[in-house]
Amino acid sequence: MQTKIKGMSLWCAAITGVTGLSLVTLSPAIASEDARIDGYYENATYARDGVGLSKFRNTIQLEGEKQFGDVGLFSNVSVNATLRGSYDGVYDLNDDEYGRNAGGPILLQDTAPAPFAAPFVPHGEGLELPNTFDTANNPNDGMIVLGENLHDQAGGVAFGVPVRPCDEDDRGCIDDYLDKDTNDLRFQEFNDRLDFIRELYVDFDLNFDSGNTLSTRLGKQQVIWGRTDLFRVLDVINPVDYSRNNIYDELEDIRIPMWILKTDYRMGPTEVFDGLAFDDLNFQVVWNFDEFRPHDIGQCGQPNVILDAGCFFRGMNNLWENGGTVANFANGSIATDFGPGQIGIRQANLPSWKLSNTQLGLKMEGVYGDLGFSLNALTYRSQLPSLHGGIPAQNGFTGETAVWPSLIAFDIHFPRVNLVGGSLDYYAQSIDTVVRVETAYTSGEEFANTLRKELYSESDVLRYVVGADKNIFLPFLNERRAFLFSGQIFGQHILDHEREQRLLGEAGIPDWEHNWIGTLLIKGWWMNDRLSPQLITAHDFRAQATTLAPSVEWLASDSLKVTAGANIKVGDGARQFDDCRTCNPWDPFTQAYPGQPAGESAGLGGLEPLGRFKSGPIGMAQEEDEIQLTVRYSF
Amino acid sequence: MKKHHSQTLMRTLIAGATASLMATATVADDAVIEESFFPYRTETPRFDGLSPGMVINQNNVAQFKDVIDPAFYSFIEQGWTTITVGETTSFDLHPNYVEATRASLGQVSLGDQVGEISGWQAGRPFPEEPNADDPRAGEKLAWNYKYGYNWGDSAAIYPFYWKYRDMDSGDVERTIKFNFHFLNYMGRVIQEPTPEITPNPSELFRAIYVQVLDPSDVRNTQLLIHRASDDLKRDNSWLYLGFQRRVRRLATGQVTDAFLGSDLMIEDFEGYNGRISDMNWAYKGTRYMLMPFYNHNDLTLDTETHQDDDGYQVVAFGGQGGCFPNITWQLRKVYEVEASPADESHPLSRRVHFMDAQTFTIPRTVAYDRKGSLWKTFTIGQAHPDHHLPANEGSGVSIDDSFSMIDVQASHCTTGQFKGQVDPQLSPTNMFNVQHLRATGS
Repeated sequence: MQTKIKGMSLWCAAITGVTGLSLVTLSPAIASEDARIDGYYENATYARDGVGLSKFRNTIQLEGEKQFGDVGLFSNVSVNATLRGSYDGVYDLNDDEYGRNAGGPILLQDTAPAPFAAPFVPHGEGLELPNTFDTANNPNDGMIVLGENLHDQAGGVAFGVPVRPCDEDDRGCIDDYLDKDTNDLRFQEFNDRLDFIRELYVDFDLNFDSGNTLSTRLGKQQVIWGRTDLFRVLDVINPVDYSRNNIYDELEDIRIPMWILKTDYRMGPTEVFDGLAFDDLNFQVVWNFDEFRPHDIGQCGQPNVILDAGCFFRGMNNLWENGGTVANFANGSIATDFGPGQIGIRQANLPSWKLSNTQLGLKMEGVYGDLGFSLNALTYRSQLPSLHGGIPAQNGFTGETAVWPSLIAFDIHFPRVNLVGGSLDYYAQSIDTVVRVETAYTSGEEFANTLRKELYSESDVLRYVVGADKNIFLPFLNERRAFLFSGQIFGQHILDHEREQRLLGEAGIPDWEHNWIGTLLIKGWWMNDRLSPQLITAHDFRAQATTLAPSVEWLASDSLKVTAGANIKVGDGARQFDDCRTCNPWDPFTQAYPGQPAGESAGLGGLEPLGRFKSGPIGMAQEEDEIQLTVRYSF
Repeated sequence: MKKHHSQTLMRTLIAGATASLMATATVADDAVIEESFFPYRTETPRFDGLSPGMVINQNNVAQFKDVIDPAFYSFIEQGWTTITVGETTSFDLHPNYVEATRASLGQVSLGDQVGEISGWQAGRPFPEEPNADDPRAGEKLAWNYKYGYNWGDSAAIYPFYWKYRDMDSGDVERTIKFNFHFLNYMGRVIQEPTPEITPNPSELFRAIYVQVLDPSDVRNTQLLIHRASDDLKRDNSWLYLGFQRRVRRLATGQVTDAFLGSDLMIEDFEGYNGRISDMNWAYKGTRYMLMPFYNHNDLTLDTETHQDDDGYQVVAFGGQGGCFPNITWQLRKVYEVEASPADESHPLSRRVHFMDAQTFTIPRTVAYDRKGSLWKTFTIGQAHPDHHLPANEGSGVSIDDSFSMIDVQASHCTTGQFKGQVDPQLSPTNMFNVQHLRATGS
């Protein structure tokens, strides 16, 4: 989930270099020597196969800057502000799918043989445990079956997930984490964290006699590390809003700005000692003193829910709060009614504001000959959730409340992660190609792990991206303008990976121990760069899932830009993994076979819930093909 | 005693002969410098029928075919534009540059292969008149251009407007507003430190920093180019995209692509922006030609594109599609140099540069495609520094002040309107570091 496949439309421009910029005409609204205000209005309308309208987002963004020059000891003093507000009409225009009328009654699979044979049972009509649930608290309405947009229940685990906004239906809404009401969904930026103030910061420099400069930016801002565009290897300081357009929007637009102090000591060309001189040398300290924020992974009921994790979480919280029916559970086949407080997600433990929860980063960056480099270190809180088992829960058979081994009852945590890494770029003159490398080694990340009694484990992780950009003339298509070819390979290696073959299948960490994602961009330009078609592909090698994103950008006038495109997925979607039906938490009632140790998985698997980590963000979105039209008017 | 006397006599004779030779050499040197830097001190160029103030148009252009390059001649012949003739004036370069040339006279030589040079520290490397019998005369002129005084030790085009125009309809398709900054690391003759900025670990010759001011969606896009003193080495370049907030290193070998969708290749900048070693150079002759040299303050200017507190206005454009600067032209001494790409896959078969002999700027270039057909013509208007912004007075810089790149085949052009400022405060050294891009980005 650290993977970030960056925006399909602007990514291309980002890697085009000088020749690939797309520019529209000058249209300053207010501008003077030391102050400016400008902005844009944008409509993004997307339609999804089988769903209909999936986005009708209208955005107004205003950007302002005021320069003050020298103020006391400081020079280059300026204040910058960016305000953004949006209204997504999809929750009103397609409320059967994403609004107050979304969802409905559901059926859950029951593959038990006779005498229990009933291919599907309604939610609330499964096999009742001695301590079951009351459908008055969790009615069979306003729900979907977990994962139904991607796959059938296929003999695996499934349960109902409420999908309506939290003011319409508060089941499964996790306080302070995934609890958006209708207006929160419609107007994303107008929330308790004042996200409509997208950025607000002051810049100031302190110049030294040596010629070096201490350059500081203080305020709500984005801090960007790294050299690659598509993947978040080092660019991990700000959390990201995946609910906006899954992994496909521009990072610039979906990074969640935080209150940060960033200070650079800029030394410029520096001779460290005789024989070792840098063309540029810079040291940076980043202190993120804002209250912690996780990624916005999307709430179930929104069009974009990365990995469908928000649906899993909402369904699980509903199970904990209200109980519910789980398909194919008892004996691995019988739809089973669990009572509240037995399984599910109890709460999200978001780190509160205190000094020890702030985040600190150091970077040394420079240019040495033809080599650009950085060395990075960061201690931060994971912006991705980690599910910790081992919480007190009720035994569905005995009614006893205790901590049960390998019981699928969780709290959500955001562990501290320490990162060291670096990046390089190099221009290979002989092949006229730029090569970029970025790598990070983290400790403290946590992964689901059905071999552990708490159902998670910690692992060090190595990630890297190697990329190359090259402009190539294809005279038969365009004699006067080169095409950009840009390829990248992203690797992720979970160094403390655990997986074992058990009686009924594999158990352990569902994520691939070693995996790679490749991307390729081909982009061309016509009409003095006012018309630019492109094709972006991304392929997850282990998931065998691919995204194809063709698009055409047209600069219709000085200020009007129209982008039409599609996002099509091919390859495999859902994948199976141990779902802990056979983890035997309530021994002996949940034994999968005689003598099975308590809390030890037998490995029976299904598509839900852990197969998502094998499918990855591309595979989990296989049924989310879209056509997309974006119109932006700048002023 | 006699022996001593004869030795004294001999020494006297040798000393006298040496002094005489030195005096002769000094006189010769002075002549070279005078001819190179002050060609109009003793003689004003003339051409039958041509006089300051007259307008060359469709009706009388045939009379002046010998002093107009063939591409521009065809434009006038078609009625697309006219030439208003101005008086020939001397664009004296800064005395320090002239003296640097004098100091290194005869010490600069070419290496074995194109792109190699030795002995140059500052000034014009080959001020001697080109010799048609010298097979490398064109290459020497190219070096004179590369190490020319150009924008001086540092300067800024602040701001710089590019307009993309449909030559048939006259529609302005885009306007991009930039700031361009130039800094010489070597060969510095005016601004301290001279002759080189240190430390200079990569032995840079020059750096160019570009910032996009408008339109808003690409604001703060920045480009930094480092040019090594070793001509055989390609530039290092970095791009900061304002809407992405990341610095990217660029592949700079592809300098023949359209720059930002304009009609210019990166290689076209300032007349020629590639390596000496990328071309085969041929000197084709010396003659008087009409060239776009003028006094900016004497022109009727564009009142709409730019306004500021200085009251400065940029050059206006007119003619076919608005592709021609409304300027005056002078009859000047010109070296015609043909540059043929060494790389056979280059989209051009050749460029014909018309280099101004006094300033070694390239105010006119005509480019031909692979088939040998006329493709583009480039005009860079040169303004006298003493008739421009007050701050430029006495700078000795021939100010790039307007440009027009016309794609004849596509009937399209890109025009440029400058506010060139020779002010070191606008281009401090730390502006040309990679980190500056990140610090400036928002």
